[in-house]
Amino acid sequence: MKITYNWLKDFVNITATPEQIAQKLTASGFEVEEIVYQNKYLHDVVVGKILKIEKHPQADRLVVCQVDIGEKIVQILTAATNVFEGAVIPVSLPGASLINGVNISPTKMRGVESYGMFCSGEELGIDENYFEGAGVNGILILPSDMKVGEPIEKALMLDDVVFDVGVTPNRADCLSVIGLAREVCALFGLEMKKLNLSYDIDVYAKDTVRDYVNVEVQTPNCQRYMACAVTDVKVERSPLWMRARLNAVGIKPINTMVDITNYVLIEIGQPMHAFDQENIKGNKIIVRQAKIGEKIDALNHNSYNLDESIMVIANENEPMVIAGVIGGTDCSINDNTKISILESAVFDVKNIRTTSRKIGVNTDSSARYAKGVNIANAKLGMERALHLVSKLKCGKVVRGSIDIAQEKNDYRDIVVSVKLINDILGVEIPTKDMLRILNDLGIETKLYGDKMQCRIPPYRIDLENDYDIAEEVIRLYGYDVYDKIDYTLFENSKVTEGHHHPRLAMERKFRNALVEHGFYENISYTLVNPSFVQKLRLEDIRQNVIRIANPITEDISVMRTSLAHSMLSNIESNLRVGNKEIRIFECGRVYLTDELPLKQLPTEKNMIALAVYESGFDFYHLKGIVEDLLLKTGLDYHIIRSSEPFLHPGVSADIMDGNTKVGSFGKIHPQVAKNYDLPKDIYYAELDDDYLLKYSEKKITMKSISKYPIVERDLAVVVDSQITNEDLMKSIKSACGNLYYDAKLFDVYRSDAIGENKKSMAYNIKLSDMNKTLTDEEVSKVINKVLKTLSYKFGATLR
Amino acid sequence: MKEQLIKLEQEVLQELEKASRKELNELRVKVFGKNGLITNLSKGMRDVPSENRKEIGQLINQTRSLLEEAFAKKEQEIENAELEKSLESEKIDITEPSKDIKIGALHPTSDIIDKLTDICVDMGFSVVEGPEIETDYYNFEAMNIPKNHPSRDMQDTFFITDEILLRSQTSAVQAREMEVRKPPFKIVCPGKTYRNDSDATHSPVFHQLEGLVVDENISMADLKAMLSTLMKRLYGEDTYIRFRPSFFPFTEPSIEVDLSCPTCHGKGCNICKGTGMLELLGAGVVNPKVLEMSGIDSKKYRGFAFGFGLDRAGMLLNGISNIRSLFKNDIRFLQQMKGEKK
Repeated sequence: MKITYNWLKDFVNITATPEQIAQKLTASGFEVEEIVYQNKYLHDVVVGKILKIEKHPQADRLVVCQVDIGEKIVQILTAATNVFEGAVIPVSLPGASLINGVNISPTKMRGVESYGMFCSGEELGIDENYFEGAGVNGILILPSDMKVGEPIEKALMLDDVVFDVGVTPNRADCLSVIGLAREVCALFGLEMKKLNLSYDIDVYAKDTVRDYVNVEVQTPNCQRYMACAVTDVKVERSPLWMRARLNAVGIKPINTMVDITNYVLIEIGQPMHAFDQENIKGNKIIVRQAKIGEKIDALNHNSYNLDESIMVIANENEPMVIAGVIGGTDCSINDNTKISILESAVFDVKNIRTTSRKIGVNTDSSARYAKGVNIANAKLGMERALHLVSKLKCGKVVRGSIDIAQEKNDYRDIVVSVKLINDILGVEIPTKDMLRILNDLGIETKLYGDKMQCRIPPYRIDLENDYDIAEEVIRLYGYDVYDKIDYTLFENSKVTEGHHHPRLAMERKFRNALVEHGFYENISYTLVNPSFVQKLRLEDIRQNVIRIANPITEDISVMRTSLAHSMLSNIESNLRVGNKEIRIFECGRVYLTDELPLKQLPTEKNMIALAVYESGFDFYHLKGIVEDLLLKTGLDYHIIRSSEPFLHPGVSADIMDGNTKVGSFGKIHPQVAKNYDLPKDIYYAELDDDYLLKYSEKKITMKSISKYPIVERDLAVVVDSQITNEDLMKSIKSACGNLYYDAKLFDVYRSDAIGENKKSMAYNIKLSDMNKTLTDEEVSKVINKVLKTLSYKFGATLR
Repeated sequence: MKEQLIKLEQEVLQELEKASRKELNELRVKVFGKNGLITNLSKGMRDVPSENRKEIGQLINQTRSLLEEAFAKKEQEIENAELEKSLESEKIDITEPSKDIKIGALHPTSDIIDKLTDICVDMGFSVVEGPEIETDYYNFEAMNIPKNHPSRDMQDTFFITDEILLRSQTSAVQAREMEVRKPPFKIVCPGKTYRNDSDATHSPVFHQLEGLVVDENISMADLKAMLSTLMKRLYGEDTYIRFRPSFFPFTEPSIEVDLSCPTCHGKGCNICKGTGMLELLGAGVVNPKVLEMSGIDSKKYRGFAFGFGLDRAGMLLNGISNIRSLFKNDIRFLQQMKGEKK
């Protein structure tokens, strides 16, 4: 919301500087984002008058002017062709520094001295809408009656200070000069000046508003509709003071009637519309919902197809305005307008919001309606507009007004507790300060013991209860009171026991373990490009991707259903920037659903995934890391060959808890590696974090150990290729019986000598007895038994 | 005999003085061997008159033990010298790089989640989680933001359907928790949040930490003390916070909390644009309407809530300037979390 210092002064006798005002507004919840001095680039620019023009002796394109700048006559050279003797022009003198970056100093051109420069409108930062002649290609020719020597900021009324104020959504009443002026009054303890709402009516005239227009409100979305008529309308340029105000807050001046409606919009926060009465067919304004098939050509040069959700202001035949949002071209004020109907209305917040969104049009008017215009405001706005019509003498106000209102909005009384207010704030605010603050805010108070009755003005719809009043009090009393208090944490509340989230606690164990295995934690966008489904060859529930209705780009338009995509993308991006030896992991969610479009919330599954690209790293390294993670849980699992579509079918495994898959790991499928533009030897693993939570508690039972030494034997056997380590290990263990302590495969060897489809498996077997040291004989006996078993079961032969 | 012994002593000691290990061994044989000098002297005892035998015997024994001691000492010396030499020869370049130890690092955002939740648990908060894909009800309506409410403009929300969206604030867990918990309780919820916004300071996916306390006598002063403690523990004892009025539909009064700049400690630097303070989080006393909507008696209970951007908090802690670098997962960036000096 932009307002100006001078405009504020219309309402408040304030002497504080703009900076002081900004500081107080910010401290009370209205953040002043910017203060702009309009005259920043206008110092040392004055009104001058050209007395004499002579040719430059050395240059054809330059002329030498003698210029009266009030205190003296100076010589200025110019190449401009639109100047003439007697012309009044803006002159920038030495020291001036213009908006376009030009700094003025005395200079010599081809031997002739020049003491400044004439300015165009553009060099002063103004355009034709603001000031006649400012848009011409050449020097701005000022009205001849301007006072020579006067600073240009005064002459052109560019001497205001503009505040850009952030207004929070609960304070729509402050989307206006009057609203912010009320706040400033409260902040500085000043009285509001009375707004001039008087206007002239020709008491002898017989006509009344109903001779020009009738209004019918057919929709509940219009809460109030006021109409007044103005005859003998003069559509012309508004006076400079009005243009100056509009220009300062960023509104383009157009003509008297339109400028008045915009002025009221900014000043009072009341959107208004001025119709050309001639185009109100049947002299009838009908406020209704549009019909399907109706269309409107709007002032923004777009055409809109309307429907029943959109409220319109129509004449007898057709819609003229999309209510509260944008006017149509046909009904607007034009150069030939003789009679104008002024509208001041209040429309439903939701309806205007919906319409504004639907047709994608956001105007100063719709922005205010969408945040809520107070129903009492319509009358204030209308009266102020009629006052301005009188003041500008741009028409005759017709007697009478039409006012159709659904409800009245008046002062409301609420009763609050002083103690509760202090309890909420946790600091003791002296009651007299409370009363003063509320009074300054226009809230009349009466105190009955602890109870305080507050009379809330109609524009403060946001104030309903003790909490709201507490905020008003502390906001103006000053939050710095908390900088000084010495308060013990939770002094007056009960002790509660804090707990970490069990899943997050387990996840933290995994994260720390992976960091110690050399992994870097990643956090990726959970929003991804939908192409990942094909790239990962996903076929199950994971191909049902949840799509955002309003994505920023296709690349972040769906929710991921697999962490593999994030991990592989991150490896790829790391390789691209020259990183090698990549170990990464991520803990995050995947979003799974059976049905699309979503009817209920999907499953959000927490997963932990890791990926490695590193020379020498293989499946068994990966397996070790996965085993270590699972060791942190109490899960008793087994592994089977994996069916993950994105893993290499021969070099991957699924981790199973009975029949339930808990995770997978292995080498990436070569096709998937290709899809991600990756080398082949990428290893990936993922675990279902949510499932593992069941096993997050690990119970450890320790057994007594033998006091006698362990005896080791190595045994290498030749078996068929398809025999697995697991097969052999089971048999070794059972053959060793009670004496088994441990066994480990330490070498696998294939060669022509061993035979095709054969391999040699070498085990280191450790035996131990609880009661004695094993003799050679006893050990040999066990090893022979192992060999016999392996030979019987798998056709193993000693190598 | 006596002179003979003294002479022997001197000669042996002299030889011993400059002996190498090999010479020492030879000398040992020469002195103590089967035909060694001392051995021979002992053998010669039988020629000594019996009245002197005791005295001479003692002298020989003295010489023997003196020499044995000298040999042992010399041997020790040689061993020491040899050890010294081998230590010297085994000396390595200790500035060569370390081997085979691979240590990774946590992501800055998850690191700060760990730190903050640890502090909060100490203060009696329990850590909770909630869905990221959320209903309009929990994200907005239960937070006192009805459909078409102007304050919805404050957040650009990603929608999936009319009723389902990506939560735009972790506040969405507030109502979920209030529905199932009985006061008094204190919760914090870290997690991902989403907004339709992307530039150097905004990421469409980001992280927030929501805090909610509900009890009988909660006030703004509790909020101040709690956030003050939290920030001091995170950013250091000299950290302080300041309140500024603001607006959130789910809190009343609502405040913005500014933090003394952790980089310059409030003196003013380019990170805080010279103000010494940084905008950190939004907070306030829970709006009684929000308590009521979730079935908590607002006449009896009050609460406070706060929510803040974890990515930003982590950026401040670790001096990161662009939020997007947090989601690029470049190892060159992540490695720095190890705090190694390069």
